[in-house]
Amino acid sequence: MKDLAMIIKLMILEKRDIFYSIIFGFIAGITAVGLFAASGYLISKAALTPPFYTLIILTSSVKLLGITKAIARYAERYFSHRATFTILSNLRVAFFNKLEPLAPGIFHKYRSGDLLSRVVGDVETLQHFFLRVFYPPIVLLLVFISTILFTAFFSIYVAIVLLVGLLLTVFVVPALFARKQVKIDRRVREQRGELSTEAAEFLNGFRDLKIYQKLDEKEQHLIQSSDAYINDQEQENINKLTSQSVNAFMSLIVSWCVLALGAYLVFDGQLEGILLAMLVMISLTVFEDAGPMAVFPIHYQDSKRAANRLSAVVEHENEDGIINGDKALSQSDHAFPIYMENVSFSFPDEPRQTLRNIDLKLPAGSKTALVGPSGSGKSTLFQLLLKMNHTDQGDIQLDGLSINQIEQESIWANLNVVLQENHFFFGTVRSNLLIADETLTDPEMEAALAKVELDYLSLGDAVYEKGENLSGGEKQRLAIARTMLKNAHIWLLDEPTSSVDALAEETIYRHLFDQAEHDTLVLISHRLRNLEKMDQIIVMDHGKIIESGTFAELMQQQGYLYEMKQIEKDLL
Amino acid sequence: MDSLRKVTFGYKWQLSFLFALSVITAVAIILQAYFLVTIVDRVFLQQLTFSEIVWLLWGLLAILLIRTTASYINGRIGIKIGADVKASYRKSLLHKFAGTAISSSSQGQSGGKVSTLLDAVDEMDSYFSAYIPQLIQTSIIPLIILGVVFSQHVNTGLIMVITAPFIPIFMIIIGMQTKTKSEEQQEKLAAFSGRFLDTLQGLTTLKLFGQAKEQENAIEKSSLSFRDATMQILKVAFTSSFMLELISMLSIGIVALELTIQLIIYERISFFTAFFLLVLAPEFYTTLKQLGSTFHSGRSSMGAAKKVTDALTDTEQPVQWGKKNLPAELMPAVIRLQHVSFAYGEGQFSLKNIATVIPSYGQIAIAGRSGSGKTTLLHLIAGLLPAADGQIFVHEKPLMQYREKDWFDQLSYISQHPYLFSGTIEENIAIGGNSDASREEIEHAAEQAGIADLIQTLEDGYDTRVGEAGRGLSGGEMQRLALARAFLKKPSIILFDEPTTGLDLYTERILQQSIQQLSRDATVITVAHRLHTIKHADNILFLENGNLLAEGTHDELVETVPEYRNMVSLQQGVKNE
Repeated sequence: MKDLAMIIKLMILEKRDIFYSIIFGFIAGITAVGLFAASGYLISKAALTPPFYTLIILTSSVKLLGITKAIARYAERYFSHRATFTILSNLRVAFFNKLEPLAPGIFHKYRSGDLLSRVVGDVETLQHFFLRVFYPPIVLLLVFISTILFTAFFSIYVAIVLLVGLLLTVFVVPALFARKQVKIDRRVREQRGELSTEAAEFLNGFRDLKIYQKLDEKEQHLIQSSDAYINDQEQENINKLTSQSVNAFMSLIVSWCVLALGAYLVFDGQLEGILLAMLVMISLTVFEDAGPMAVFPIHYQDSKRAANRLSAVVEHENEDGIINGDKALSQSDHAFPIYMENVSFSFPDEPRQTLRNIDLKLPAGSKTALVGPSGSGKSTLFQLLLKMNHTDQGDIQLDGLSINQIEQESIWANLNVVLQENHFFFGTVRSNLLIADETLTDPEMEAALAKVELDYLSLGDAVYEKGENLSGGEKQRLAIARTMLKNAHIWLLDEPTSSVDALAEETIYRHLFDQAEHDTLVLISHRLRNLEKMDQIIVMDHGKIIESGTFAELMQQQGYLYEMKQIEKDLL
Repeated sequence: MDSLRKVTFGYKWQLSFLFALSVITAVAIILQAYFLVTIVDRVFLQQLTFSEIVWLLWGLLAILLIRTTASYINGRIGIKIGADVKASYRKSLLHKFAGTAISSSSQGQSGGKVSTLLDAVDEMDSYFSAYIPQLIQTSIIPLIILGVVFSQHVNTGLIMVITAPFIPIFMIIIGMQTKTKSEEQQEKLAAFSGRFLDTLQGLTTLKLFGQAKEQENAIEKSSLSFRDATMQILKVAFTSSFMLELISMLSIGIVALELTIQLIIYERISFFTAFFLLVLAPEFYTTLKQLGSTFHSGRSSMGAAKKVTDALTDTEQPVQWGKKNLPAELMPAVIRLQHVSFAYGEGQFSLKNIATVIPSYGQIAIAGRSGSGKTTLLHLIAGLLPAADGQIFVHEKPLMQYREKDWFDQLSYISQHPYLFSGTIEENIAIGGNSDASREEIEHAAEQAGIADLIQTLEDGYDTRVGEAGRGLSGGEMQRLALARAFLKKPSIILFDEPTTGLDLYTERILQQSIQQLSRDATVITVAHRLHTIKHADNILFLENGNLLAEGTHDELVETVPEYRNMVSLQQGVKNE
């Protein structure tokens, strides 16, 4: 409930549209009741051969009510939908603002992109919160109360029957079915998740399944999961249908009671016969609006769940213990040194330390290669330098300042980073490069593309979400081009060319080292190439630095690197 | 949507049942009005005693029950058909995908296919569970009501006949206006929601470039412009229901006016008839209007159905296997490629006219720059993709004439990214075996692949769960697990996509040794990224832009092919640094 309160707070920002929605909803509902009441009265009156002018007044008021109702319904829909979409926009922005400071730390917690797509789905789900959960009950209650008060004026008993009907159709019946619905709902969702996982496995693991002749088996399995899922969906629909049918029958029963009671009262002389048709018509009409209440609990549950999950995501504030300092690195046009002193780090939930007692000196303008087998802690070391994780022990100094005192943003502003995974956005090659610097000109960008041998792309070429239409090598090259366009002087490159072939790699490195001539540069490299150009080589294994020195020194030493190089030569 | 209609007619008896239920509902509607009006008439005008109308009240109650039950059963039948259709479509889709998934997964389209399989199929539901039953009701109930009305009072009937067509006409006019617009909007919506996700996923990148804050405005701006665009569409939709309401309202008004005039001025009809018709009139128009609202969900269903049928009629050909035996003792047989071509689609990458002979126990390397078609060629040889043109011969018979099982039983494919299935490590290795492998055989294979030590350090050993929702393995560990699969299988043909990235040197060494060991009893075709591999190959297939530019040994190619020399000399240079 607390989480929904947050949503409501955001919603209230649109109070004018909400107010209009309710007002027009009420007018539409009450005029519908009035319309049928008047026509019931009209026809009864007509039977008594009244003076002609009363009929004229009655018929024209029926017409007027009809038109008012149609207009009010239109206005209600217009304002409620406008409010909904504005609320959705507010929600997206609010959520983005909450998530933004938590990135990128939060992404380590939820490694799969699944979380994010769920988040987007949840925001989308919440559009029903206003449209189906929040304001319709208010309108419904207003219409019912007014109607009941109106009927009470003619017969208190009929009013009581209507009140009981209201309680039954709006509260009791939906509540009865809601519990079952929640249970089935959960099962349907689980089945769906299972089916989707299996379908993804079927398509992604297709080649291995095919070659190992397990495809038919898997297909049968998938069909079974699908059938189970469809079966549960069917149960869900049946439950919904039953609830709607019971509710509809209930409201018909109420009108029947009104008729029976009215008939009795007329007979008993407590009610004028001319009013009977009117009361029955009122009852039939007013309960038409109660129908949607059958689905109210479903939307309510959906919204609550979505809100809970959203706040669960953003509530992780600063669990990773990063202290965001207030000092800024000066936006300098020269490189600065980086030191690590006795740094250790372990990921939460992992007993083994990922980095152990790392001492590292990267003088200003130096070129360092970080090598070692996968899983030795090289990328984690980068994360610490980027202040994406907090050291357990030891200190990191950038330009003489302790990393704990420096603002994250100012660190990033001073770094040229290429990570193993680089994101590209839906748009064009141009729009993706402009992220580096909005003031770039086309010739500048084209030059950068040429340096990474991507000059066959034009700046206007489309890029899909996550760069889906680019190959792995193209993505890496584009990422390097983008970084080269950013004017910083510290380079952190994490296997930037692992999917690029040797020929292109050579060209790219030549341009890269030209540009970074006076800069501090750290390169994580899997291949042991171009190492002699580096000022120092750090060799890591199992989270420790096991060797460091120039290429010549290490080769002479005939230690770990020497052995790696021998194997690589052997492999070549 | 002919296909949907065809599917619908497959449910003959359910349809007749729906028809019958509609007739029952229509009769119930009429009787309900009849009883209601009779009661009011008797109490109000004839002033009968309460006990004289009690039987009428009970009759009315029974009718209400019948009407609700009929609509309930109606709904149940719709739900049943919907579930049935979904199940059968999902089955066909799976079958289709099973035939053609390799090119889509290599083109990164798996996500779209999962969505078709789940979402699009789910969306088809409402066509059958809501639209069809409503369509049947709308085609029957108004007619029966109209018949009754005509029998009571011709003028009212005439008014209804004249006004009723305005409802469908309006629906069609407005439908035509909104259709293209709303389809555009649907695309925009999908694109927009993708955009928001895109921004969230790229947050790390944005922050590193100091651009995250700017996105707040962008999100708000695009959200609001999306709102405004949607409101334009919705306004038309609201206007349409406004018009429909107005038409039915005016029509009922005319009916009421005519009845009143007849009742008072001409005194030609009774109060009973007038009230009866006045109760029936809204029922008549409501059924017509309801079709309008279900029409909308019906149409989005049709869109989903189109997606599904498109996927089903996708021209992409599945690989068709034959029935010929491929005796294991013939393997490894000579593989001959005769002018083999393949294209992923029009204007997309294609392999052209590949011709070569791969001898038994040959060590073949496929070389070329990235994007030259190496992996596609490997898929063709594996029989995972059908050749668009030309043939692959195995033992001088077209590959596709053999039994699928016979071929794959002889084949191992070690890819750069072996797939881990959810299950235990043991199951994941055992998947490579032709029959039920014993635990000992599996452990032996793991030892050969150099992964046994690692497995022993795990708490649950070979029973450790891996894959989805299990323990993740590093790239190197997965490679070694794939090798263990191959050691267990003992294939006579090995297709090997040599890893380019991310392996530790231990795994690299194991991989090299293992392939050598496996190659003693097999033909090995390697997509090569290493000089070592191509130097030791008996024959190198050098690809460029989907063409087989040259073939021969390393020395021959260095000698005669400048493009090859370029590619290699660079690697050579690096080696000799």
